[in-house]
Amino acid sequence: MEKQVESASSPLTSRRHFLDLVLGASILGWLASIAYPVIRYLKPLPQTGPTGPTHLTRDEAAKLEQNQFVIVPVSGQRVIVLQSQDQLYAFSAKCTHEGCTVTYQPGQSVIWCPCHDGRFDLTGRVVSGPPPQPLVKYTAQRQPDGGIVISVEKA
Amino acid sequence: MNTAEKRSGLRGWLDRRYQLSPLLDFLQHKEVPLGSHWMGWYYLGGVTMFFFIVQVVTGVLLLMYYQPGEATAYESIRFLTTKVPFGWLIRSVHSWSAHLMIISLVLHMFSTMMLKAYRPPREITWVSGFFLFALTMGFGFSGYLLPWNKLAYFATTVGTNIVASIPLLGDWLLQVLRGGHDVTINTLYRFFAAHVVILPLAFVAIIGLHILLIQRQGMAPPLGARVAPRGMKFFPSFALRDLLLWLACLMVLAALAVFLPYGPGIPGMDWELGEKADPFAPAYPGIKPEWYFLWEYQLLKEFPPHLFGLEGPQVCLFIIGILFAIWAVIPWLDRRAYQDRSSPAFSDLAWAALLFLTYLTLMGWDIGANGAIEGLAAMQKVARVCAWWTLAAGLVVLVVRSLRYQHRWFVFSGAALLQAALHGVFGVSYLLAGTISLGLAILAIAVLNFTRSSPDERRAN
Repeated sequence: MEKQVESASSPLTSRRHFLDLVLGASILGWLASIAYPVIRYLKPLPQTGPTGPTHLTRDEAAKLEQNQFVIVPVSGQRVIVLQSQDQLYAFSAKCTHEGCTVTYQPGQSVIWCPCHDGRFDLTGRVVSGPPPQPLVKYTAQRQPDGGIVISVEKA
Repeated sequence: MNTAEKRSGLRGWLDRRYQLSPLLDFLQHKEVPLGSHWMGWYYLGGVTMFFFIVQVVTGVLLLMYYQPGEATAYESIRFLTTKVPFGWLIRSVHSWSAHLMIISLVLHMFSTMMLKAYRPPREITWVSGFFLFALTMGFGFSGYLLPWNKLAYFATTVGTNIVASIPLLGDWLLQVLRGGHDVTINTLYRFFAAHVVILPLAFVAIIGLHILLIQRQGMAPPLGARVAPRGMKFFPSFALRDLLLWLACLMVLAALAVFLPYGPGIPGMDWELGEKADPFAPAYPGIKPEWYFLWEYQLLKEFPPHLFGLEGPQVCLFIIGILFAIWAVIPWLDRRAYQDRSSPAFSDLAWAALLFLTYLTLMGWDIGANGAIEGLAAMQKVARVCAWWTLAAGLVVLVVRSLRYQHRWFVFSGAALLQAALHGVFGVSYLLAGTISLGLAILAIAVLNFTRSSPDERRAN
């Protein structure tokens, strides 16, 4: 009788082993059933809002005239629109280094990120500093009626 | 009938129910070790806790007016500082106390490192202290965004963006942290929850463990104390000294908060409310994180866009991660202190860490720029001036250590100074200078190990 209990392959120990396994698995399942909703809860919902081409408002166009650049929302993204020698350019305003909002320096024709001194030229390429990627390009077009349209289609 | 049952009055009443006598006996016999070292280091943990208590009290008071929200966060802080009686004082005390808490915490950590107080049986005390340090950084970072001003907006953008460099989990973590792809008001809600609930709960739990361990094991005696060192009674002698120091800290805090309500006005230590955050405004020159994050900010700047097929910020984050991991497990790395023997290499490592942080922080502060902070020439000038300051500080440290403390092991601090000199004075790139210095340090250690048991090791520290 005693021998039976001690033996590793006895029905009693294998039953205990099985029960331990079931208990362990159910604890894992129980933890997962708590963790899953919390993880899903923490992940934000996808952004909603207008998509497609964006017309600059009168205020934004005035700002563009005055400062030679303006930052506007296009499909939920920050986009910098700038003009140099009567030509319009649009890029993502998010610096590819650490995501600061870039600015335009009309005197030097340079898009500059003041956070870590990253510089881009008017094609969006990195001129100097730590940014690892060029700025994402957008299309900026002047309409026949004088309005300006920024489209999401990356040029 | 035992003593507890015999005792009358409140003490007896409590004793019969909760058996307080063993606890009181323990406290009565508790001692702080006296030795050849300066006692001052033993007070720094208490000072840090004092500032934390001030943070809790002033934080709760700020909560009574603060309203997180797109149209209310900035406005409620402005109302608090301009209209509410003494609102400016509460905010000022909260900000000053935060900075002082970080200063005393850093001093506490480095003094623990120099005195090798992390050696057995106190390894877990060190690790819990490391987590308290990490949580304090979290407090600083999350609290910074709450006024919802321009400076906070960009500091948070950069600070949170760093997690995007983590492989696989990066994007998910970034979204969870920000409550979206970008820093928006959703980020503020999450930071608010972290700052006032999640971090304080975690902090109180870990500080409970930290203090319990210190009470249970006592404070670390000086290294190599073969016989039981002399002691000072914790109650009342040490506790009263603690209290007196807390009072002095309160006086200093009050004076700073009253006379400099918006900070000393240096970048990274300035809490003027400024303009409200505007996601559609460009960043502006001179944007800096808080002073204790400046070294990371500067390190990010020193990395090229690409390195080893990875993006610069990714490699930078990886290196910062390794440095912190080393720092967390120092009790297990320091084999000599583990055996209660002098470990001059780790004292030197602590000094090297300080010099490394000093050089980066000074550069992050644009010391020597004289207003011109753009362009390569300005950066080189800043690096040169900062390198000279770091070399001067390093020289003073070296002289004091060798004359006053008879230290003879300077490999790591020498490497830190060499890196500053190569980069700042000779114009070698920061990373190359670091690689050369680290390579030479490893070579020097190999040579030292080869000619082992030099008389210096026995003498030093």
